[in-house]
Amino acid sequence: MLQLLKQELYKLVHKTGTWIALGVMLGVQVLIAILAKGVPDFLDATNAVSGNFMGSAIALFIMIASAASIIAMEFQYGTILQLLYRKYYRSQVFISKIIVIIGQAICLWVIQFAFTMLLKVIMFPKVDLSQSIGHGQTLLSGMVRGNASELLSAMLLLSIVVLLSTLFKSNAAAITTGYIGYFVIQIASSMLLLVIDRWEWVKWNPLTMLLFGQQVASPDLSKLTHLSTGVMAGGSVVYTIIFAGIAYAFFRKRSV
Amino acid sequence: MTAMLAVKDLQKSFGNKKVLQDVSFEVERGHIAALVGPNGAGKSTIMKSILGLIPTNGGSLSVDGQPVRINSHQALEEVGALIEYPGIYPFLTGRQHLELFADGKDKSADIDSVVHAMEMERYINVKAKSYSLGMKQKLGIAQALLNKPELVILDEPMNGLDPQAVKHLRDVIKEMAANGTTFLISSHILSELEKLADTVLILNKGVIVEQTSMQQLKDGTQTVFAIATDDDVRAKKLLTAADIALAPGDAIGILQDERGGLDSALRLLIGADIHVLAVDHVEGDLETSFLNVVNAKEVR
Repeated sequence: MLQLLKQELYKLVHKTGTWIALGVMLGVQVLIAILAKGVPDFLDATNAVSGNFMGSAIALFIMIASAASIIAMEFQYGTILQLLYRKYYRSQVFISKIIVIIGQAICLWVIQFAFTMLLKVIMFPKVDLSQSIGHGQTLLSGMVRGNASELLSAMLLLSIVVLLSTLFKSNAAAITTGYIGYFVIQIASSMLLLVIDRWEWVKWNPLTMLLFGQQVASPDLSKLTHLSTGVMAGGSVVYTIIFAGIAYAFFRKRSV
Repeated sequence: MTAMLAVKDLQKSFGNKKVLQDVSFEVERGHIAALVGPNGAGKSTIMKSILGLIPTNGGSLSVDGQPVRINSHQALEEVGALIEYPGIYPFLTGRQHLELFADGKDKSADIDSVVHAMEMERYINVKAKSYSLGMKQKLGIAQALLNKPELVILDEPMNGLDPQAVKHLRDVIKEMAANGTTFLISSHILSELEKLADTVLILNKGVIVEQTSMQQLKDGTQTVFAIATDDDVRAKKLLTAADIALAPGDAIGILQDERGGLDSALRLLIGADIHVLAVDHVEGDLETSFLNVVNAKEVR
């Protein structure tokens, strides 16, 4: 199993795209910081910092591409046979890929958050991280909670992306479907609130859980989702495991 | 002694279509077995079954005495394989492909040894996306030979290789087999494996129609003498009337058998005042012998 993890990491590290994506993420953060500094009327400094200079949004986009391609690329490059015939089981191959996806997501979130802090110190020393943002939280604690909840929501979204990607034999198709799926889910989850208001039971569907990050940032959203933040966190984890399980079932049944 | 590879009553169907029927064979340690058959005979399906890549519908498979199933891969620890076509990550170099799968204590020396054996030094550090078909094939074989496997399974390994590379690959395989590595190699062209295999398994329509040694198969080939005369039509009539065995076709081909054939034919033709212009010795054709086996079993 350790060997499989090493192999997945090796592939990730040696892909040029991994480093280009990281560079783009940091570049966008710098650009947003420059924008907030130069045109404060357009983008308020505190909002720019609390929004990670868009770092977390870019990290999610990178992760959708990464999750979509981690299985699909093996079929596209014809490498799936040499991956599966060895002494390992399909479940181990699948789990090693999921672990690498989780690890990559955590790394990106940590890097973009650390870079946000660096940009804040260098370019926005006057933004006070200890200022209150309501609900008994400081700007810093709110950012930490916000990033953690975004990461959890990202896991749920990525499990859906991995599930979709197991149906494709081409990288590009899997990634495109991942992005389209992302936008469809975003639109659907917003419209969902209207439905929940009418039919209470609809709140238990997985798309409601995708609003977890937003509810952490705006606790009043619980009046619309009809779910407490804690329940949404648990629901996100449960649905992530369910979708990953279905993705594994597809991967296991897939002919090679 | 336990066979390195044992396949017993293997069955495989895709839907209602039976692809493999009661396939049974064994390969001894250090032997080279050739799995030969026309395209679609089931060669890759057998290899995928041995590697636990697809579920089977019956029978058993074992590598070095340990069973292999789709959900039981422990026996494959010492197995290297190239199935169908080489899988290549375009963003990795040849060496990185080998580093990716290298296992054991002395990875670097093992990689160098495989690269040297496959004569890949010139381009091993170049990204594989720029490789030609032959270079990719060599890389696929190199990956199969990595980590000093005890059993190597190669599906059509000569595909895309130039004659020199084919000869070199034969030498590498022979050397590894002499050191105890067992090989199962498939091809739809028997002559590719003529100078290599100890055992030949002829597969047709999912059935092993013949399991024999390469020497026995060669012994089954017939020697033919092609004769040109100044009156081929009359010559052919005379030879047929004299019950001399002829090869099928328009040209005159004398089948050499225990009764001689060529000597009787020449005496007859010269006696009938037919001028013999040329006599050519046609080598025993292994491919024809292979096709004869396949076709004969089909007729049955």
